[in-house]
Amino acid sequence: MRNRSVTINPARMCQPIGAMYALFGVHAAVPLVHGSQGCAAYPMRMFNRHFGELVQVAVSSLGEDASVFGGKKNLIASIDNIIARRHPELIGVITTCLSETIGDDIDGIIREGNFKDSKVVPIHTPSYVGSHVTGYDNALKALVTNLSEESDSDNANDRLNIIPGMVNPGDVLEIKQMLDSMSIAYTILSDISETLNAPLILPKPPFPSGGTSVSEIEDCANACGVISLCEHAGGSAAAFLKREYGMASDTICPIGVSNTDRFLDSVCNMTGAEIPYSLEQERGRLIDAMVDVHMKTCGKRAAIFADPDIALALAEFVIELGIEPVIVSSSTASRKFLQKAKSVTDCCEILNGRDLYELQRAVKSNEVDILFGNTKCTPIAKDEDVAFVRCGFPVYDRVGYHRYGIMGYHGGVYLTDMITNAILEWEER
Amino acid sequence: MPLTLLKSDKTIPEREKHTYIKAASENILPLSNVQTTPGDFTERGCTYAGCMGVVCGPIKDVIHLVHGPIGCAYWTWGGGTRQNLSDNPGFHRKYCFSTDMQEDDIIFGGEDKLYKSILEAHKEFPEAKGVFVYATCAIGLIGDDLNGVCKRAEQKIGIRVVPFNCEGFRGCSQSLGHHIANDTLFERVVGTKEPEYLTDFDMNIIGDYNIQGDLWKIKPLFERMGIRILSTFTGNASVDDIAQAHRAKLNLMHCQRSTPYICKLMEEKYGIPVLRASLFGIKQTSKALRDVAAFFGLEDKAEEIIEEEVSKVAPKIEEYRRKFEGKRVFIYQGAPRAWHWVNMFRELGIETIAAATTFGHEEDYAKICERVNDGVLVLDNPNSLELEEILIELKPDLFISGLKEKYLSYKLGVPFINGHSYENGPYAVYSGFLNFARDIEKALFTPVWGLIRRNRE
Repeated sequence: MRNRSVTINPARMCQPIGAMYALFGVHAAVPLVHGSQGCAAYPMRMFNRHFGELVQVAVSSLGEDASVFGGKKNLIASIDNIIARRHPELIGVITTCLSETIGDDIDGIIREGNFKDSKVVPIHTPSYVGSHVTGYDNALKALVTNLSEESDSDNANDRLNIIPGMVNPGDVLEIKQMLDSMSIAYTILSDISETLNAPLILPKPPFPSGGTSVSEIEDCANACGVISLCEHAGGSAAAFLKREYGMASDTICPIGVSNTDRFLDSVCNMTGAEIPYSLEQERGRLIDAMVDVHMKTCGKRAAIFADPDIALALAEFVIELGIEPVIVSSSTASRKFLQKAKSVTDCCEILNGRDLYELQRAVKSNEVDILFGNTKCTPIAKDEDVAFVRCGFPVYDRVGYHRYGIMGYHGGVYLTDMITNAILEWEER
Repeated sequence: MPLTLLKSDKTIPEREKHTYIKAASENILPLSNVQTTPGDFTERGCTYAGCMGVVCGPIKDVIHLVHGPIGCAYWTWGGGTRQNLSDNPGFHRKYCFSTDMQEDDIIFGGEDKLYKSILEAHKEFPEAKGVFVYATCAIGLIGDDLNGVCKRAEQKIGIRVVPFNCEGFRGCSQSLGHHIANDTLFERVVGTKEPEYLTDFDMNIIGDYNIQGDLWKIKPLFERMGIRILSTFTGNASVDDIAQAHRAKLNLMHCQRSTPYICKLMEEKYGIPVLRASLFGIKQTSKALRDVAAFFGLEDKAEEIIEEEVSKVAPKIEEYRRKFEGKRVFIYQGAPRAWHWVNMFRELGIETIAAATTFGHEEDYAKICERVNDGVLVLDNPNSLELEEILIELKPDLFISGLKEKYLSYKLGVPFINGHSYENGPYAVYSGFLNFARDIEKALFTPVWGLIRRNRE
């Protein structure tokens, strides 16, 4: 059944969790879910499982009264309580299907509330539109729209804005290390590399160290350019920055050799920096790793499931490894994904926002050797007896996946080894 | 000063009513089962979680179809973090069904989509014995006629289609969801099938969800006694088992927060008496076996089993007790385990210094207060900041709670056990008690705690 009404084994989550993901990368920020308690409690567990980290999300605990009379009272009380007890730099008010359907005017409530001491940003994330990817995109756009401020002096600073999207702390680290080696000043919007991979040193700080500060977000208006790594999760914020402040803008997901090459070229174009020898060496090490294993990888047939931009970039990378992507499946439906997927490879089956039940059907009928996907794909790999590379969010049936990046040349080495080891284990089974 | 206000609650003084320091001379209980203070970083979930996630989700052979936007279904897929195992893993917990409501469906109504979804799900999985349909927040607001659609679909596909009106915003916690699940299962399922045969020793186990296989340890103890378990509610349950539950001679109730409703309904309508039990730890398990044996007149057999089982575990538990003697624990559970476990910890030489529940009612707090010593902090619906304060100020040696609190505990350097979905369980009855003790040993004595450094201040 290609056009089912019922979704069986969903490929995506709803918007609020994406907004939380974005807010966890802001230093001393509190996500406040305006909705039912489950809309905070359930996503928190997903973060716990994937990152093995403490996350704290507040909720306005809307009950039956609020669903009839509106949630204004609960929202104001929530913001007051959070400011009084935690003094955050920022509160992101995340809507839900409940508060959006009730029709609470959260922008008006926040404006009228005139809250002191913490910035309060409204983020519209109705769960019945888009997916977690959309939620991240909307959150980033809300942060940038509400906070960015052009400085009085008209000369732009030479910083570069990077919007990573829903990637792992390890990926953000890879990006930062590449930019550091080029001596480029940058702002990561937003930076989960420390907040969701926090050290255990006592005493525990009130908020995890790291993350992008509110003042850095304010200053992002003055950067020379912006690159979103995942166009579907951050592209709207990049478009706003380009439109509003006239800065250069690009979108590249730096997974694999060519994508990383293009990313670095774009960085150089925007900043005038040059690619240092150390990065040439890293590139060489990735090529070396790929040459070492091509007898194992070439000719294999892959099914790739991920969020749209990551799925496309992974498809491009496996082609570099001599692997044929026979299925490319995006968690989230999008016209852009469909167009790009057709240009990446013309002979594969494209699943545009279809559920994992459909993915399994496609894996069954396409003679797949290796599957890329999150933990929800593990049963497919087992049932269909294919090699399996875990990637994306959430991965919780193995540990540590949040720590290691697959982006950049160095991340590419890790990914190459993971792919080859998955094939080796599968062949030895 | 029996009621107290924690430092982290200075600006939300209403929390004082929920925060009680036990004193024998008083007859006070913390305020419970009321709305959460908005924005207080509560650990509570929603009514849908209580209904679908806790009570209905473990039923192993029905399609659990979540009517709403996609998230709610995703969170409970595979039990979510709950480890309610069954012997039908090829279907149960493997598949997740949702109507995936989109904006247009919210505007124009989702009844058609729901009807089609039920039919299609049934077509894909014709072996499923029913379709359970759960309403989520948005559905309650747009007013889809869940009952009507389910009735129509039932007539069409010929298997039971049961609607659960468990929108997340109802009630103040998961607790109302338990109640809705109990009432609906009683009205729509219990009594709809007659057992093939009856015995004089038919018993239901009510309120055990087979977390990491608890029931697979519990059931054989009673079966060896000569009792037939007619139905389990709802761990590893077939919907047909629940349908014939009304013919049991006795209901043994384990989780006494999520299932007293159905026990009461079955007592009223079918005259089935209820026996309340704790199946954790040696003493409580033995008492439960004796109580059940006394009801059925199987005392001698029970004593045999108790002697055999206790002799297997008691010496090892004694060893553990010597290692743990004097340790102090903070128990924070959904509700009943907070008091089930006070005595279990005591058998291990560990005293409870604070006990809290997410959605307990007065009777849960009464039971906690009966069991704990004077001076113990008894807390209702604690929030994340209160938990942090307690872990820092009261310095328990062990914290037992759920996944959301696990990494708070770890980040504070406090040994932790997941009491909701367990570490390496099952934890129930005699053999499970050994697993529990072994996990405590790991938690308390892992060398890594000694390697943590403090920042110079």
